[in-house]
Amino acid sequence: MTQAQPDTGTATDPSARSTEFVAVQGGGDTTSAATLLVTAYIVMWALLLGFVLMSWRRQGRVETRISELEKALSGSGGPKGGAAD
Amino acid sequence: MTGQKDKLFYALLAATAAIFVYLISFVFLKTPVAQLQAGGLAQKIFYFHVPAAYAMYLCGTVCCVSSAMYLAGPSDARDAVARAGAECAVVFGAMMLTSGPLWAKKAWGVYWTWDPRLTTTLLSVLVYVSVVVLRAFAGNGEAERKFASALGVLGTVNLPIIHYSVLKWGGNHPTVIGQGGGGLKHPAMLQALLTGFVAMTMLAGLLLWSRARLALAVSRIARLEERAIASGELDY
Repeated sequence: MTQAQPDTGTATDPSARSTEFVAVQGGGDTTSAATLLVTAYIVMWALLLGFVLMSWRRQGRVETRISELEKALSGSGGPKGGAAD
Repeated sequence: MTGQKDKLFYALLAATAAIFVYLISFVFLKTPVAQLQAGGLAQKIFYFHVPAAYAMYLCGTVCCVSSAMYLAGPSDARDAVARAGAECAVVFGAMMLTSGPLWAKKAWGVYWTWDPRLTTTLLSVLVYVSVVVLRAFAGNGEAERKFASALGVLGTVNLPIIHYSVLKWGGNHPTVIGQGGGGLKHPAMLQALLTGFVAMTMLAGLLLWSRARLALAVSRIARLEERAIASGELDY
């Protein structure tokens, strides 16, 4: 099995360097579809996990507030106004 | 009652997880690759991108209805649901706005273009972001709640504009489903999309429920703290 040889030299070959830039059709399309697909799925699931993590942390803050409230109320003998709606 | 609600929540969570596992395996293993002009393999982003957009519409509608109800008759529950709707709309909007450009890179050659649908979608997501930021940093007073509710209604008014922007103003965004669209030409493609809609609806339901419950708990604690401070039992 033979491999096609590139028609340009290596990066270290001074004669191979570009001396001009020419616009080509479709030349910018170098990203593989598989990479984009996997990146999209990773980003979407990361966003979702980030949101769940934020919820978890907010729940933690709520629990801290409840503990502080309980502590303060137990020190004063309990609430007089009853539970909130 | 709480025990029954918990059981229902866990059942919904298990069903959602199962349907997502099925959806991912179906999309990657069974659904055929689309034509190159549609992005080829990258077109498979579509089966999550479109349901995420739909979930954003759904959460935005929940936010709008609850906000309007709050403006008509304020209550902690209505405010909590409106807030949860805006938060979930931001999450699904972010999922849509990050997956879309990655697909567009393959299909259009660029990540972003100021296409009418893309621009109106970004605008709508930014409105929901403003609702979330307002509620997070501007306090929990009546005026802030009402202002956020008005913004929540405004954000949803933009949703039909997003939907019909392609038909009215053209642009690059494909119109495959619905008016003017050619449809999905393979049964597996249609099945993947429908499963995606079901999965995202269930996920949106779960997120809305848990966030609304959390927001309501925060409101109840704030009211308890206010009462305790007013009665002199709490001094902070």
